[in-house]
Amino acid sequence: MTLSLIILYVLTLIYLSIAERFRNHTTILALQGVLLFGIALARMHAFHPVELSFIIVETLIFKGIVIPIILLRVIEKTQIKRIHSSSSQFGALVMSIAALVASCTITYYMADNRTDMIFFGVALYALLSGLILIVMRKRIFAHLVGFLVIENGVFLFSMAIGVELPMLINLAIMLDILISILVLGMFLRRMDDDIHTDETDALTSIKD
Amino acid sequence: MLAYIILSLILAVAPLVLRSERATNFVAVLFFAVQVIAIAAILHLGLVDSVMLSIFRADSTAITFHVLMTAVLGFSLWHSSSYLKAEGTSTRSYKAYYTLLMLLAVAITCVYYSDNLAMTWVFLEATTICSAGIIYHREFKQSLEATWKYVFVCSTGIAMAYLGILLLSTVAVEGSLDYDSLSSVIAEGNPLYLKVAFLLMVVGYSCKMEIFPLYTVGVDANYAAPAPASAFISTALVNAGFVAIMRIYTLYSATGEVFEWARHVLLLIGILSLAVGAMFLRRTNNYKRFLSYSTVENMGIVAIGMGIGGLALWAAVFHVIAHTFVKSSMFYQVGVMRHIYDSYSINRIGNYININRVGAIGFIVGTLILLAFPPSPLFISEVMIFSEIVSVGSWWLLALMLILMCVVIYAIWSRTLRLSYHSNQDTLHLSAVNRRLSYSAAIVLVVAIVLGLWQPDFLKCVIDNIVTIA
Repeated sequence: MTLSLIILYVLTLIYLSIAERFRNHTTILALQGVLLFGIALARMHAFHPVELSFIIVETLIFKGIVIPIILLRVIEKTQIKRIHSSSSQFGALVMSIAALVASCTITYYMADNRTDMIFFGVALYALLSGLILIVMRKRIFAHLVGFLVIENGVFLFSMAIGVELPMLINLAIMLDILISILVLGMFLRRMDDDIHTDETDALTSIKD
Repeated sequence: MLAYIILSLILAVAPLVLRSERATNFVAVLFFAVQVIAIAAILHLGLVDSVMLSIFRADSTAITFHVLMTAVLGFSLWHSSSYLKAEGTSTRSYKAYYTLLMLLAVAITCVYYSDNLAMTWVFLEATTICSAGIIYHREFKQSLEATWKYVFVCSTGIAMAYLGILLLSTVAVEGSLDYDSLSSVIAEGNPLYLKVAFLLMVVGYSCKMEIFPLYTVGVDANYAAPAPASAFISTALVNAGFVAIMRIYTLYSATGEVFEWARHVLLLIGILSLAVGAMFLRRTNNYKRFLSYSTVENMGIVAIGMGIGGLALWAAVFHVIAHTFVKSSMFYQVGVMRHIYDSYSINRIGNYININRVGAIGFIVGTLILLAFPPSPLFISEVMIFSEIVSVGSWWLLALMLILMCVVIYAIWSRTLRLSYHSNQDTLHLSAVNRRLSYSAAIVLVVAIVLGLWQPDFLKCVIDNIVTIA
């Protein structure tokens, strides 16, 4: 069960690297939220109502519903439909697969007996995928998606090493990330309104 | 601590429901008073080194930096009022600015007192959110760009730091990330994990301490924010980044071989920061960015001190303390200049000595202190770092530092002379000359000079405490 979910998660990352429409990016992020919920649920050792509620809030509600809604509203408001037309899908796919291979190699050398190798590898792949999205895409919205992919990778990473932080800390971390997304979404809309741009090339007025 | 946080938060958000700027100023004074009372309470009620709410500890590091932050905050709140009025800020923006500045102060204080690796991260991330609003305050194209870059890069960088925390937590007992409990078990950790964790955390927090590699966002933030807020960001927030890295450094001191490696990383980061600072101090054409690159350069020296260790570590802490006074004073002076020239352009503004003599002298003396000419406290810290470098036999490092610092001295001094004596090519607003603010900025500088001439025993004792833990 867990392995199937993990494989599905890897497929979403590969699809994300070649998807052109931002609506598809948002749908994939929502799907990742649901998959993370399934994975976290499958890894629960025993039934703890508080822990379960937190997982539901963090993955299903926060990553699967709230963030995709925020992103959809940003898309609706800014009318940013798709990634830049000059972006090469083939190049992105090659980069993504190279990242997958690199993740497997690093995992082989790094993971010790205390870490789950599969989770570790996929988490690393998610982090690299997020960074590739940020580096390769010109549109700011794609950078926001890249940041969220990194955040999902970090969540997977915490499961890979089996660390269970106190609830208060988990809650604070989740709130921090939620507010960051809200702030980023708000400023993205401002940029569209005030300087009529949604591309990083236009963000070069501050320099020495 | 809970009472302090709740009261501070209530006061911070109070301006949003108040109607006038005057009431906001009154709340700001109350907020400042709460900081002073909190410090006095900790010192006089025997709360030093006590754990509060299980995630905070009032140790020497926390109290020292809280005192420094409060001092800078007082001046920043005062200067902000004049600055915002001179800019013609609307009442709504005025209240929002004060709210965000006070919220930022609360978040920074929590970083100082945090006794838990994850909570330090949480509060540092909170500083990003509060800073964003302050950076965007002036609402022009560049401030929007700076804000976006700041929030995005800090959030991504801090996400990386969180990854480091997760890697480090593999050694944690029952998920406890308290610094004390971590330090007792960290030596048993996987060395490779510990190294990667250190790298991720330092790189992530570099955006706050304004060192290589993520220093750029801090420079952009200081450029876009109002000058009194830049003074606060460039000192109190930079110190928060320093405290976060210092606590990790302290934690790693128990790891033997990994600690040696970590010190080398800090040394490299320090050299690169110093080099970047020297290079861009020559290139920039904006006085605020110029001061920000000077922060990068100074924090580079601090990182080198941490990398060398021993006496240089003591000097690094002293350098941070002295830098807080010098840099905040310089930013306040630049804030006064802004209203006279309506610009920060290095190539266009000049003749400051004849326009605002007090401000110009304050700026010239501040520059000399910043360049570590005696009786600058930075002279003492830099000489201590140099002597430690000589004692460990790193002559190449000494030579490299001296070359880079010569570039820094030339860049800073030539621009200061240009500001004071070169003919002015920009529009002048002579009615905006505010000597009272120039004098007040000079007071902060006087504190730095006093520190250069005389280091009180309690300060030495406090720094000893901070360093002994390491």
